[in-house]
Amino acid sequence: MPATFQTEAVVLRSIRYSEADRVLHLYSRERGRIGAIAKGVRRVKSRFGGRLEPLFRVDLLLHEGRGELYTVTSAETVDPHPSLRERRDAIERATQACDAVLRLLDSQEPNRAAYNLLCRELRILDGDPAAASRAQALAFRLKLLLAAGFAPELAACASCGEREHLSAFSASAGGVVCPGCEAGSFPLGSEAHAFLVESLGRSLAEAPSASDRALGQADRAIAETLEHHAHVRLRRVA
Amino acid sequence: MFSPPVNRLITELARLPGIGQRTAQRLAFHILRTPEEEALALADAIREVKEKVGHCEVCFNLAVGPRCRICEDERRSPELICVVEEPSDVIPIERTHEWGGRYHVLGGALSPIDGVDPEDLRIAELLTRLDDGDAREVVVATNATTTGEATALYLADAIRERTPQVTVTRLASGLPVGADLEYADEITLGKALQGRHAL
Ligand SMILES: [Zn+2]
Ligand SMILES: [Zn+2]
Repeated sequence: MPATFQTEAVVLRSIRYSEADRVLHLYSRERGRIGAIAKGVRRVKSRFGGRLEPLFRVDLLLHEGRGELYTVTSAETVDPHPSLRERRDAIERATQACDAVLRLLDSQEPNRAAYNLLCRELRILDGDPAAASRAQALAFRLKLLLAAGFAPELAACASCGEREHLSAFSASAGGVVCPGCEAGSFPLGSEAHAFLVESLGRSLAEAPSASDRALGQADRAIAETLEHHAHVRLRRVA
Repeated sequence: MFSPPVNRLITELARLPGIGQRTAQRLAFHILRTPEEEALALADAIREVKEKVGHCEVCFNLAVGPRCRICEDERRSPELICVVEEPSDVIPIERTHEWGGRYHVLGGALSPIDGVDPEDLRIAELLTRLDDGDAREVVVATNATTTGEATALYLADAIRERTPQVTVTRLASGLPVGADLEYADEITLGKALQGRHAL
């Protein structure tokens, strides 16, 4: 294995470490979730500048040390997402997106679909003030579930395959269910069902919207799927 | 591997920030070698600081007694409040001799990813202070980090909503003195350009 390698990554989280360093949680294009130490980055004159702050998309040279952490040897900005940092709702949604990636994708297996999805989400939040909505955040979460291999069944009853009267959702069954299979489920209205289907069908930039009630049900469906299949508990999307 | 008292010392030292097991061991052996009075002076200093130094009841800066020296100082304007993350952030601002107002120490920055929510910081205390105080301007001096920015935006919203007569400002950002332009990141340089001034 090479001692140094290059990858693009999004900085998800940054923790102060020692005198002037930071430990970074990165989602990288080439190696999935990785940790790296950025030495001296908290000094005013660090050559990294602010490039290793959360929500930056960067091109990194990483050195493989003996421990679990890589060491950042150089960082070039791919996208600093400057506008989303100036709007409270956008910075909060972007942080939520990073949090979801951090918890859901914790292996060093690369997942290009998830990486691209996260980059697109940050790009959209940076470019469009109206994108920082609850509907958009849920569409991102659902697409992330798909990228991670946990997408719920939405086209037919997850238990028996029935294609009509799908008005409930059961995370343990793995998706929408019919009245005959609704044990352990909760009611999912047709609007929420349509929201889920369209969120997966459309591009992230064209995420559908829906009423608060429908979004609440969609949120619950996504959250229960995450908990049941990925054993991950995320904050609800308010 | 070591006797229980030595183990205990190593465990306690290893809890300090930036100190790993190995460094903790080295420090423990250093302490075992030092003369008794020197080692006890350290223990005593720790005890004294924990007994005597607490948080100011007004601004949550470090204080000996109920209020810190800045809140007790009549010459410091109560109309101006500078909000910082930690007590240690007060010191560099004081060193500039540019600030004649008071402070409010939040106790950290908002970071949902680390489980730090508004209730975990002294935000409610700040808002109450603005309700019944003479404050005219709040300068948000949280760090120029992503969490610091998120905190600043949150505070600006909360203050505007509750006490609209109070102006909220943010520390300017730009190039640090002594830094090379080529190392500046794009956000810093962009803000420096926006904030340029005539010569
Ligand atoms: Zn069925
Ligand atoms: Zn005080």
